[in-house]
Amino acid sequence: MTVFVQLVVSALGFGGIYALAALGLTIIFKTSNVVNFAYGAMATVVAMLVWTAHASLGLPTALAWAVGIIGGGAMGIAVDLGLMRRVEGSPPLVSIVMTIGLLLAVEGLTGVIWGYGPKGIANVVGGRSFAIGPISVDRNDLFVAALAVVVAVALHLFYERTRLGLAVRAVAADAEVASLMGVSRKWVLAGSWAAGVAVAGAAATLAAPSLGLTPTLMDDAAVFAFAAAVLGGLGSLIGAVVGGFAVGILSDLVAGYISTNLQLTVVFALIVVVLYLRPQGLFGRAAQVRQ
Amino acid sequence: MSRFPGLGAARAGVARWVRPGAAATLAVLVVAALFPLAEGRSQSVMGLATLALTYGLVTLSLNLLMGYGGQVSVGHGGFLAVGAYTTAIVATHFTSLPFIVVLLLAGVVTGAVGFLLGLPAGRLRSHYLAVATLGFGLAMPQIALNLGITGGFTGLVTPTAAVGRFTLNSPVPLYYLALIVLAVSAVAIRSILSSPTGRRFMAVRDSEHTAPAMGINPWRTKVLLFTLSAFFCGLAGYVFAFYIGVVEPASFDFALSLFFFAAVVVGGMASIWGSLIGAALLVVVQQESLSAQAYSETILGVAVIIVLLLGPGGLAAVPRRVSGAASRARARRLEAAAEATSPHQSPAPSSAGTPREG
Repeated sequence: MTVFVQLVVSALGFGGIYALAALGLTIIFKTSNVVNFAYGAMATVVAMLVWTAHASLGLPTALAWAVGIIGGGAMGIAVDLGLMRRVEGSPPLVSIVMTIGLLLAVEGLTGVIWGYGPKGIANVVGGRSFAIGPISVDRNDLFVAALAVVVAVALHLFYERTRLGLAVRAVAADAEVASLMGVSRKWVLAGSWAAGVAVAGAAATLAAPSLGLTPTLMDDAAVFAFAAAVLGGLGSLIGAVVGGFAVGILSDLVAGYISTNLQLTVVFALIVVVLYLRPQGLFGRAAQVRQ
Repeated sequence: MSRFPGLGAARAGVARWVRPGAAATLAVLVVAALFPLAEGRSQSVMGLATLALTYGLVTLSLNLLMGYGGQVSVGHGGFLAVGAYTTAIVATHFTSLPFIVVLLLAGVVTGAVGFLLGLPAGRLRSHYLAVATLGFGLAMPQIALNLGITGGFTGLVTPTAAVGRFTLNSPVPLYYLALIVLAVSAVAIRSILSSPTGRRFMAVRDSEHTAPAMGINPWRTKVLLFTLSAFFCGLAGYVFAFYIGVVEPASFDFALSLFFFAAVVVGGMASIWGSLIGAALLVVVQQESLSAQAYSETILGVAVIIVLLLGPGGLAAVPRRVSGAASRARARRLEAAAEATSPHQSPAPSSAGTPREG
């Protein structure tokens, strides 16, 4: 039992990271209906920018994070306006192919620019772990988990309680009617891409200390985050958070009880089972996801 | 069939590669068959040519799924792994089996895995399907890593095998085997595509809503599509097992699946020759940037994006586009010359090669 509880508690950190990454995926999907397969690679660029600003340019951590987040946001806007907008209205297959091409291009360019040698980057919250009875809790894990919840709550309040959030929801519900009401669809979409990449970038930067900052940093984590989003229901904020923690805990249990090399396989099985039995996920609306 | 216009366009797209290409196909085959006479002494050249043929079959099998069937797979590296592992396992434990049995077993076992994946995947649409196949492509090498029969991390050494008195573990015989397997598969795929089954694939691609009205069950069609695609990819896995010599999980990384995907798109969706060109391009790009995978990824990724921005026909559509532009220019000249007593309609470019989803 102690082992079980310890495994669940240790999963808080990665659960939070998957939740944040799934939130980034969700923000973009909600408005544009595009699943951004490149988001792991784009998020990694944010982590690289943070590293460059901090380690090479010597900026303080907070400022380095600001550089990364702003850079990520700009990249999101550029991708949306420069690429995604041009294939708008094409069959869904085209936008999938586009983001997969983007995944290759961005990951490759990251390798060209920053190289493949792992870069040192520190946890945001240092300090030793503390113990609650026999269970040891890592401070950074706790911080990441809390951050994921705070970001989700903030996003929820933004969508539900602000005029701008209402505008975003209007675009998501019916872009044409929204533009009749004076909402700029173009900038709502671009803004969603900026926010989505920034949030996923935060996840990548938080994951970098334990996964190792290389261009392929988020390759596996991206699949966990996809699984989290699918489990929670694509497009649902609470689904992304619950799915993120669920996937984090599940993969930690698999690592603890079965093998560290089977996590992706179990998560793949989870994706298939969820999509087969309940394609709208735990919290998603029954959208048309099947034939 | 004329009641279904999308199908007619798709048939025309196939016919373009079936009829007038026979002479060109023969010429390419002859050149390919004579190639070892010129380069047979260079092991590295023969190896790369064999790899191009093997990738060609993988890309072709993926194009069957994507270009003709309108489905997505970001996990074909997983099928290649199943084919290669099946080959290594069977050839190790049953040394007396003739090569053709092992080859077909590689195809059948991989086809069975494709069938099993197709059962749930056939119910999924666009990005959900992409997520599921992505997971599949990542899961297969992991499963190989954990099983005993697959040799775990170190993998399996592909045993020596021979066709008659030619050993498959040397470059030139393996090249010929790869060429024959690819040629036979390409002919088989072409005949499937021009059969009622192939037309069902394209009907489902063009509209999943109207296909049932023609008595087509989209789910069954897609399961069959996954099975067939995996079968041909498994045949490629047989050749690949001998090409790499050691079948290990690291041979089937995530990037490989993405590369196949890119080769299909860049070569041209719904084009057999396009697949082969795309695969050859993939080998060249990989070879030229061996020192850094980063350059392969960048080049292929940018190529995919460019193809999408310029029009989804890929490289295979270039001649068609050039001749289309020429005929449009001719039409414009005619129009200008004639005093336009009756309004002349310039021929619209065919959209037969464009994959569509319902």
